[in-house]
Amino acid sequence: MEQKILKKDEIEKLYNELASEYNVYAPVKKKGNISFEKIEKSEDIVLDYLNSKIPPKSVLFPQMEVLFEYTLDEKDVEITDRQDLDQKILILGIRPCDAYSFELFANFFSSHGNWKDEIYLKKKENTTLIGMGCNTPRTTCFCTSVGGNPFNKENMDVFLTDLGDKYLVEGISDKGKEMVKNLSWLSDATDADVKKSSELAKQAEESITATIDSETIVKNLETNFEHPVWREISESCIGCGSCSYLCPTCTCFDVIDETDKYNNRGRRIRIWDTCQSCLYSLETSGHNPRDTKIQRCRNRIMHKFSYYPENYELLGCVGCGRCIAVCPANNDILTILHKVEKIEEKGG
Amino acid sequence: MSNPYIPYLTRVKSVVAENKVNDIKTIELEFKNEEDYKKFDYIPGQFAEISLIGKGECPIGIASSPTEEGTIKFTIKKMGTVTSGFHSSEIGDIIGVRGPCGNGWPMEDMKGKNIIVIGGGFAYSTLRSLIIYLLDDRYRKDYGDITTIYGNRESGEVLYRDLLEEWEKRDDIKVVLTIDREEEGWTREVGFVAAIVKKVAPSPENAVAIICGPPIMIRTAVAELVELGWKDEQILNSLEMRMKCGIGKCGRCNIGNKFVCTDGPVFSLAELKKMPNEY
Repeated sequence: MEQKILKKDEIEKLYNELASEYNVYAPVKKKGNISFEKIEKSEDIVLDYLNSKIPPKSVLFPQMEVLFEYTLDEKDVEITDRQDLDQKILILGIRPCDAYSFELFANFFSSHGNWKDEIYLKKKENTTLIGMGCNTPRTTCFCTSVGGNPFNKENMDVFLTDLGDKYLVEGISDKGKEMVKNLSWLSDATDADVKKSSELAKQAEESITATIDSETIVKNLETNFEHPVWREISESCIGCGSCSYLCPTCTCFDVIDETDKYNNRGRRIRIWDTCQSCLYSLETSGHNPRDTKIQRCRNRIMHKFSYYPENYELLGCVGCGRCIAVCPANNDILTILHKVEKIEEKGG
Repeated sequence: MSNPYIPYLTRVKSVVAENKVNDIKTIELEFKNEEDYKKFDYIPGQFAEISLIGKGECPIGIASSPTEEGTIKFTIKKMGTVTSGFHSSEIGDIIGVRGPCGNGWPMEDMKGKNIIVIGGGFAYSTLRSLIIYLLDDRYRKDYGDITTIYGNRESGEVLYRDLLEEWEKRDDIKVVLTIDREEEGWTREVGFVAAIVKKVAPSPENAVAIICGPPIMIRTAVAELVELGWKDEQILNSLEMRMKCGIGKCGRCNIGNKFVCTDGPVFSLAELKKMPNEY
């Protein structure tokens, strides 16, 4: 296997080489939080981070995104399609859970009916991931319970392991192998480097103590749409929607027209939306199929652990723990799921 | 690859006020580009996302039948910004159309069967599409007896008056119109839709019932059908739900793991009973 070494002081060199071909996105520190932003200079890149507050879904599915632009004339309308979808994107430093979330996104955006979300899919097709293993998973991480692993390389093109003063570099996909080969200045990894990386992977996996029994959860949800547990679960929720805005697998969006009336032009945009908001499903007639917090909290859990599995035979959660870290009411998804696990025991 | 959020452009060809209080209008649209019209290949019961570009977009059932060639029609109730915009649109105005969306009525599966079309109030638009299609010379022979029961609160609310009168004159469709209370000059039925269903007593033998209307009407009419021996599989509904994209991506119209926009909007009662009661 081709394993190489990238010294930490060579990040600039790596960036410069990649930036000539790609729009490079990487974690940066912004207003005290880590988020994935387009890099203009390599010094901004922060690779010694646990995980970003805003998931890198924002690179391919930004909080606000133009669907198309229009100009309005007295009696006509002209529409301009997106012109930037062919640009090559590279995401450096993405974590395994987030890389996997891109697959779940693509599953959803390429199915259901006759239309695919070509905006997302085109961008994904043009995206290369140079990911990084998690030496230090957070206390809120539970990827190992939902089919992931802090050193899962599957969805990466190139995989980095932080060895302290250097990174072990592995080409994973064909595209990634080619890329590593072309970075001919990388030095060769020694057996000791490879051994250290597997030790780090083992330690990382062992350090994740939060667990859920996803099989029982999926099974219990199938038959407990109506259950007192949903009231209990929703009691502390304040309906802020942070859990879903910052969820790497939450895909919902609203669509609005933004018109500059003085210049007769505008754009139809989509913006992140959340099923935790009562306006989300409010109909014009005044009817709202999910007008209580109980129903909305249930929908979020059902979507990830029942509806998504029913449709794709996969869990709709990657175990990143962002929703736990960000919830202002401490409504921990692990606590919620543990309650769901115990439904049968309680109810009989 | 193409951007599924870009609408076809159409122009308003006509605007017709449909009811006495004038909050329901039918707009007829002509595609700017003939090629786009060909691509807009729909069946009765489907809907489209129609937009006033610059104001917004909303999902509306297609009121025209594919047999009415050249244009498409939408019957729209004035509710919010976008629908009010449609109401004040003038001939020649540009309207965006995306679609057709959703599954539509099962035109193939219904072949050879008797069809009972039950509608209440404003929900008659995709039923208009359906009946025009069924009565078309090319397709009439493919289907059995056709009966429609259409109820309204008062005579001024009855949509498509001219069309209904034309159908009343035909011998290949039975048209039963009803209003809630007696009115001077009204010569048809009086009473709630459910009561009229009971009176007409359609046989479930080799038949399909299609029901669109307010929830209370659907519930009571379905109860009458069940009483008459109809099975859940024979009763079809079209659901409404808040939507943004209409193409199974924006998320909000889910009922359990189904999306009303792509798995529906037409579901049989049997299907609905398997879904969570959250619509």
